[in-house]
Amino acid sequence: MPRVIICVDIDAFFASVEQQANPALRGKPVCIIGSGGRTVITTSSYEARKYGIKTGMNIREAKKILPSIIFVIGDNEKYTHTCREMEKIYARFTPDLEIYSIDEAFLDITTTHHLFGGPEAIGTAIKKSVKEMFGINCTVGIGPNILIAKLASDISKPDGLRQVRSQEADALLRDLPVKELWGIGPKTAQRLASLRIKTCGELGRAPASFLRDKFGIHGETLKKMGMGIWERPLQTIPEDAKSVGHSMTLPRDIHEREEIEAYLLLLSEMIGRRARKHRYMGKKISLTIRYSDFETFSRQTTLPRITNDTHGIFQASLNILNSIRLRDKVRLLGVCLSCLIRDPLQIPLITEDRKRSAVLHAVDTINDRYGDFRIIWGSYLKHKRHSGVISPSWKPSGVKNVHVK
Amino acid sequence: MRVGEHISVIASFGRPYRIRPVRFRWSGQILEVREITYAWKTKQGINDVYHFSVSDGTTMYELAFDTGSLNWRLESLEA
Repeated sequence: MPRVIICVDIDAFFASVEQQANPALRGKPVCIIGSGGRTVITTSSYEARKYGIKTGMNIREAKKILPSIIFVIGDNEKYTHTCREMEKIYARFTPDLEIYSIDEAFLDITTTHHLFGGPEAIGTAIKKSVKEMFGINCTVGIGPNILIAKLASDISKPDGLRQVRSQEADALLRDLPVKELWGIGPKTAQRLASLRIKTCGELGRAPASFLRDKFGIHGETLKKMGMGIWERPLQTIPEDAKSVGHSMTLPRDIHEREEIEAYLLLLSEMIGRRARKHRYMGKKISLTIRYSDFETFSRQTTLPRITNDTHGIFQASLNILNSIRLRDKVRLLGVCLSCLIRDPLQIPLITEDRKRSAVLHAVDTINDRYGDFRIIWGSYLKHKRHSGVISPSWKPSGVKNVHVK
Repeated sequence: MRVGEHISVIASFGRPYRIRPVRFRWSGQILEVREITYAWKTKQGINDVYHFSVSDGTTMYELAFDTGSLNWRLESLEA
């Protein structure tokens, strides 16, 4: 039975939600930004995109292009709620669905589309439900695999619906620039261009041995992508986490040790709490530092035993920090716990460890009951928490479900 | 503008997500909800909090209903 995959992509998601919530923003160039002082644009409305204002630009750049641009501080909880509700719409049509990111989902409707009048009927029904429930538009791409479904969605934006059947994929890919293909980034596209491969057709016709020679094991995958072949199944069950990490761009560049330590403690608590919630413990801690000139580096250490204790994570990251002579002010800090084990059977044997585990359990229980950060570490009290940015890998459930205000 | 005040609200309660604020009292006035432009749910600990972007025809308000305390709050407004 030929596979039928649907890709649903919400058009300018955050901006569309804000335009729907506030009618005064509708039809106007709007950019969604974070609440931090040094934020960048996370989404721009189609009205803003017409002027070349894109995700990742800073406020100054956008204002220079269009002084009348409207900036709206994003409300992450509004977006995560909408994503969760959309998942319920998708689940009406198939149990095999993957929420790929906050604004993109894949549905495998191979075995169910006949129940709903076919793939296009499902696409139309999803678009209608999303519009009715949230007042926003989405684009639906349908194809024989994830790659073609995503491509069908990308070329039909905004508010489009397109099915690309297997037999039509060849003609579509023949002259399509490789950079338009999902999964081929600017660097790979550049390398391919240097090998005189500019279109998907050329990529598909290139000898596998040649591509393997140039790109290693990835070469064969690239050839298949050029031919519109993509064998990755949908990830319908969240996979086990390989790491739990958080990073933050600080409100201002800092060099004061005490302040850096306070942020490390906050990051350690965020990681520890998430790891404990999902019953992970890890053995490796890495610390990432970005200086004010954007030079970024990471250092890591392996602990003698697995942990998800905030203080253990903090102490390890502090030890790494103490081994570094900082040459400049710090712009970004990141801490990551890896080499994870889920549900370790080891119980704390030392009284001290048992006591600490009990304290953490009590703090977590209180924060679960009354909300995050109701009980926080004293040394972080004087720092104001600002809302974070939703990670591209955010998921509505599992360890990648990070609560961002 | 952030407000963060408890307010009195007349609302109709139906199925989940069918809580509809109808009118509310704030700053000595009774304001009619003419349109609910967006609704979303958040968690405050174990409590669900329902948020509504509403308009009285001239101003946008964000109202929030905490299902734990059964309190309504006016979170913010934008003229």
